Amino acid sequence: MGQVAQQVLRATGLRKAFGALQAVDEVSLTIAPGETYGLLGPNGAGKTTSISMIAGLLKPDAGTIEVDGRTMTPTATAAKAAVGLVPQDLAIYPDLSARENLRFFGRLYGLPKAELTRRLDEVLSVIGLTDRADDRAGEFSGGMKRRLNIGVGMLHGPKLLILDEPTVGVDPQSRNAILDSVEELATEGLAVLYTTHYMEEAERLCDRIAIVDQGRIVAEGTRRELIATIGEQDVVRLTVAGDAAAAAAACERLPAISSADAEDDVVVCLVDGAAAALPQLLAEVAASGASVSGVEVREPDLEDVFLHLTGKALRD
Amino acid sequence: MGSAALTILGKDLRLRLRDRSVWIFALAVPLGLTVLFSLIFPDTEDLQITGAVVDLDGGAVAAGFADGVIPALVDEGLLERIVVADAEAARSQVTDGDLDVAWILPVGFSDAIGAGEQVELEVLVAAGRSLEGEVARGIAEAYAAEVGRIGLAVTIEAAMTGGLDPGLIGGLGELAASQPRLASLADEVSDVGDPLDFTSYLAAGMAAFFVFFTVQFGVTGLLEERKLGTMPRLLAAPIRPAAIQAGKLLGALLLGLASMVVLAVASAVLLGADWGPPLGTAILIVALVIAALGVMALVGSFARTAEQAGNLQSIVAVVLGLVGGVFFPLPGDAGVLRIATLISPHGWFLRGLDAQASAGDWTLALGPAAAIVAFGIVTAIPAVVLQRRRQAW
Repeated sequence: MGQVAQQVLRATGLRKAFGALQAVDEVSLTIAPGETYGLLGPNGAGKTTSISMIAGLLKPDAGTIEVDGRTMTPTATAAKAAVGLVPQDLAIYPDLSARENLRFFGRLYGLPKAELTRRLDEVLSVIGLTDRADDRAGEFSGGMKRRLNIGVGMLHGPKLLILDEPTVGVDPQSRNAILDSVEELATEGLAVLYTTHYMEEAERLCDRIAIVDQGRIVAEGTRRELIATIGEQDVVRLTVAGDAAAAAAACERLPAISSADAEDDVVVCLVDGAAAALPQLLAEVAASGASVSGVEVREPDLEDVFLHLTGKALRD
Repeated sequence: MGSAALTILGKDLRLRLRDRSVWIFALAVPLGLTVLFSLIFPDTEDLQITGAVVDLDGGAVAAGFADGVIPALVDEGLLERIVVADAEAARSQVTDGDLDVAWILPVGFSDAIGAGEQVELEVLVAAGRSLEGEVARGIAEAYAAEVGRIGLAVTIEAAMTGGLDPGLIGGLGELAASQPRLASLADEVSDVGDPLDFTSYLAAGMAAFFVFFTVQFGVTGLLEERKLGTMPRLLAAPIRPAAIQAGKLLGALLLGLASMVVLAVASAVLLGADWGPPLGTAILIVALVIAALGVMALVGSFARTAEQAGNLQSIVAVVLGLVGGVFFPLPGDAGVLRIATLISPHGWFLRGLDAQASAGDWTLALGPAAAIVAFGIVTAIPAVVLQRRRQAW
């Protein structure tokens, strides 16, 4: 019972359809304070629809959502007060300054004047915009706008911060700054729900990750647990000239190969004992009529897990 | 909800006041157009014509014009009557510019009217006195029309009885001059019976016309939020969705009222306009802004983007403004055009101002105000329903 009370977010059996499209299908997840939970999946997997329901923007067709012990619905103001939302698209007013943007949303969340003033300064500092606080947001660089977008979401001190692909279209430097901010928020006890289709971000930030495909969570766990679903296998990437699909099919016939998939001119194989199997692998590719121009052997990552589970690459 | 709506209102007003277009639509353009139109079309209230009448006929019908209509124009201060010896003298003074206009009633004028024959009432106009000439021509044409109508009736009677009653012919001019249209002719020209003078009418018309554009900023606000990407954030905030709509409408209402009040005051101070009793004017302004909100919100609710909404709303605003007669006062005998003003809130607004100003009684604004509010209510209800359905991320 104590475990249940500790969860900031408890979503159970969420379903949402748009016409014939089942956008979200039986999605369940929980997030504890200080935990960063990642929804990893390609565009169109159902991540944004899921968080729209969790943030109270959409009513689920089925399922329940509790935030900080309160049921979330589109009219549940108490539950909404516990959530900070950072939408995928920028959600700031370009004709207002950074400070005015923050103040406006702070007032909407009912922050008392003194607290609002204090939080404004704190958040501006966290997102690195103190020096530009009174400049129009429309004059900011893309990265600065993204940081302000995040700042608005965390201004009112939510229990649950939802970040929907917050680094899309951001330069590497700003991206690092954003990821640093998210890491810091989690250490302060905030529960974070983070959606991304960047495997590196999920690996770096998330304590637990749900791999989402076609509206369903196909696997969930820590990075280590997810990678373990592949087993003690190596990933061998062969860059080939010729028919990559035929080469992948040839590789898959070998007993040491548990899966082989072709992506453009690359064949990605999960191999038991790469060192021993590599000569045979190269021979099979050659026999299929393709030639190998590059070989890479490494430990598997979440990209490989996704590929293994869905047969698709994690990309746009 | 109140606090959230006020917060949204404050933000919207801040944005709108930084947005130059709202200043342009709400104040600069309507005021500028009023000034421009006043310069192009001078108010006939200030017009005084120097003119002469030459009665070469001496008959009763001619006397009706010379001794009936003309003295009435003199009494109204529109005409300064100069006595001239004959037609040649009148022609010469008009040519020299000493007279603005002269009316020549030809020999046989009365008899021709009595016989139902075509006859010409000559109007001489000095060079460069086109406005005075138009007024003089209008007076002559109106008299001719009235005399022709009565003359026709007499002619018919003469044909049926086999002879013309001399007494009837004698009273023709007197009859014509006493006709309501002629009796009000001087009033129409000098605007005495139409208490909203030209400048006031234009100022009120322009204000009414542009307030429909001013409130656009508010009623397309939800589409703007969607375009900016801020709608999800507003909907995720711990406020009722209705507060968002309320904040937007409140902003539009305040902007609309402010622009109308500022224009009423500015047109009075700068152009000498007078919209009539302030209480009635205030009631009509509030009613008109409500109607503008309703109409624009309904039109906007059929659009998918703010741009589309703006285009649709502009078309509707222009059509309603034109139908309502905001650019020119419609004459009393404008027939279908005058009736058409009833389908426009602008038309009711100007009608209300005119009614209360003419009688100096603000209560006469209440009827038109009720009609205007009805426009607002009838359009606002479906608009709110439609917009609530669309209020999603």
